[in-house]
Amino acid sequence: MSNQDLPRRKFLATGLALGASVLGTTEALAQAAPAAPQSAKAAGPGRLTMHAIDVWNGLPASGIRVDLSKLEGDTYRLVQSFNANKGGRTDKPLFEGENFARGSYEILLHVEEHYAKIGAQMPNPSFLTSVPIRFSIADPGQRYHIAILLTPWSYSYYRGS
Amino acid sequence: MAGITTHVLNTATGTPGAGMRIDFSVWEDGKYKLVKTVHTNSDGRTDQMILKAEDTKVGKYELVFHVREYFAKIGTPMPDLAFIDTVPVRFAVFDTAQHYHVPMLATPWSCTTYRGS
Repeated sequence: MSNQDLPRRKFLATGLALGASVLGTTEALAQAAPAAPQSAKAAGPGRLTMHAIDVWNGLPASGIRVDLSKLEGDTYRLVQSFNANKGGRTDKPLFEGENFARGSYEILLHVEEHYAKIGAQMPNPSFLTSVPIRFSIADPGQRYHIAILLTPWSYSYYRGS
Repeated sequence: MAGITTHVLNTATGTPGAGMRIDFSVWEDGKYKLVKTVHTNSDGRTDQMILKAEDTKVGKYELVFHVREYFAKIGTPMPDLAFIDTVPVRFAVFDTAQHYHVPMLATPWSCTTYRGS
């Protein structure tokens, strides 16, 4: 934790304490209860979000180009292409509520293009070009966060929160 | 040693990913063409190199790891539609004198790959 985080944490703690006193005992207890398996569903409608981090530079993968596709039959069909925002996220969820369907998806990340743009030295052809991140959604009532950690030589992804 | 090798680790249990199916393809004429299908041995590696040095050319390759099938086989509980099924890892060889070790660290909810050694 950096020193910069301290005032924010204090503020959050104060906010939570205030919130608890206003909400009353039952709701405060519910908020403090450990997350039950169905809590993702109870927290609101399902949604799909992503976050790409350039762990080589210790920065968000700002502006990285992404193609989002959905598996139809045996083909991944393009839903939309976009660039991640400054934070390596998207301004809105990729899918939410009724638009979010059970099925298989692909997030294709243009990794080579991203590192070329920020001036990284890479061989030709570069080790990674476009990285397909494939995953399936069993229950679109839940929140799915796809966290992706990138370098020009490696990547990880996992179901985050 | 040059050529292409892999190593599968089950990082949920801290053990080698033994018996995982892997499809190896080479990029030719605008698509990945299947070269061979192999299974990892008890150490999570393959008995033979994925591609020997003398057969390796500059170009694009793909390893498809059958992650869901592996975790199903060893009895890991997963949703009926598993979060991770097959994981395609696409990479390029830019210098055939070098060794390309491409490991897969897998759990039912995450995976990692990198140029190892």
